[in-house]
Amino acid sequence: MRRDLLVMGGMGVALGVVLGQMGFFEGEKMGRGLVNAGRFARDLFPPDASVTPTAVKAMLETVQMAFAGTLLGFLLSLPLGVLGVRFLFPRPVTYPARLLSAWVRTVPALLWAILFVIVVGLGPLAGTLGIALYTVGYLSKLYADLFEGTDPEVVEAVRGVGASRLHLVRFVVFPEGANGVLAQLLFMLEYNIRASAILGFVGAGGIGFLLQAYIQTLEYQRLATVLLLLLGVVLGMEALGGWVRRRFLLTPS
Amino acid sequence: MERALRPAVEAEGVWFAYRGEAWVLRDVSLAVPAGGMAMVMGPSGAGKTTLLKVLAGLLRPQRGALRILGVGVEGGVPPSLRPLIGYIPQQLGLVRNLTALENVLMGALGRSRGVGVLFGLFPRPEVERAWAILDLLGIRHKAREKVIHLSGGERQRVAIARTLLQRPKVVLADEFVSDLDLPRAAEILRLVRQVGWREGITFLMNMHEVQLVQEFGDTVFLVKEGRVLHQCPGSHVTWTLLQEVLR
Repeated sequence: MRRDLLVMGGMGVALGVVLGQMGFFEGEKMGRGLVNAGRFARDLFPPDASVTPTAVKAMLETVQMAFAGTLLGFLLSLPLGVLGVRFLFPRPVTYPARLLSAWVRTVPALLWAILFVIVVGLGPLAGTLGIALYTVGYLSKLYADLFEGTDPEVVEAVRGVGASRLHLVRFVVFPEGANGVLAQLLFMLEYNIRASAILGFVGAGGIGFLLQAYIQTLEYQRLATVLLLLLGVVLGMEALGGWVRRRFLLTPS
Repeated sequence: MERALRPAVEAEGVWFAYRGEAWVLRDVSLAVPAGGMAMVMGPSGAGKTTLLKVLAGLLRPQRGALRILGVGVEGGVPPSLRPLIGYIPQQLGLVRNLTALENVLMGALGRSRGVGVLFGLFPRPEVERAWAILDLLGIRHKAREKVIHLSGGERQRVAIARTLLQRPKVVLADEFVSDLDLPRAAEILRLVRQVGWREGITFLMNMHEVQLVQEFGDTVFLVKEGRVLHQCPGSHVTWTLLQEVLR
């Protein structure tokens, strides 16, 4: 009990110090910030609806990038995740698989996008590949851990039948993990919609280009339209995700 | 013929401990006669589950000799022997997100090496046999339902069906019928005993229900603190005996 208090207190102090260093407690600076925020908020209204067709087109591209990138990444993550499962493969297999996953994961999506812009040129292809790699990094790690959590008794029972490794993956690991696989895929898709929205900043296609352009040219009313559209799409994705979960996730009756 | 008369499972001076822990099995010697039903009784924590796993060749004993169907398995079970040993874990080890039929068909995986199986396409004879077994166990109407939606008793039958499809020569079951009420359990045991007689399967199961042990146990092993203390026919098991031996 006393140790808990000590830990909490320590964290509180650390938070205060860090915030202080960043200028959180400088009254003048924060005051100015508030005024600016108010001004910016006022400038956003009323949203300029005339850019809607352009914005919708760019938004569509963003959704396409997120969708294709997530699915590509998903398809690569499943085998990579399986290779990282320690009850199926020996260390010389799981270790490199997990290392590869960790290495891919350290590079943020934006950086992958920049790299692919250099490699395949400007446009949504670069964004899609960037999203795909980023997805591989995360999903393969999540899937490896998820698969590894498969009930050992089930694995033992089916292995006892004389099933091969491939059988175990197909008939035990995948079905037992199906809920988690789907839930994390949906989460990744929602996340990637948001992530791919800014890939346009580096010329990798999608609505990010418009976001950046309207910010830099101070056209905040147009920016407001784009932001509202983004909000709508993200909310829509979440609703879709919720529906898929209710429809497909396994629940004991 | 001589082979059939050999014990189905034989342990001699078997010791087992989980990595870095105290001995769970201490100098266990037993012989499970071929054919019929053998049962293991003992208080919880006696090492019954571990004993069954070791006898099924799933855990390797540190010391002692172990023969399953006459083959020495101290160093691991050879792949050709694996499909002949059925094992039903305490929680049954069913894949909850697949249907009863799919779970039963998994019993055939040991002899299925084709690609089609990976797409859920099992050879026709296997599928027909799976249906027949489901029918025999009275759960044909539940075949297409996911295991997670089945009751405890139905799950137990699915696990038994999976093991029967495997065509084992010896079946080791941890608390075979623990989720069933007595009449149900007796019914299942009667069925399984018939199938065992017909197909020459030896059963070894953990059992705590004295009445079932008395009626169905051909050989009973009383186990406590990792040792086999007593062996007798099920009909000889009485409360007095249990109290004397397991006290």
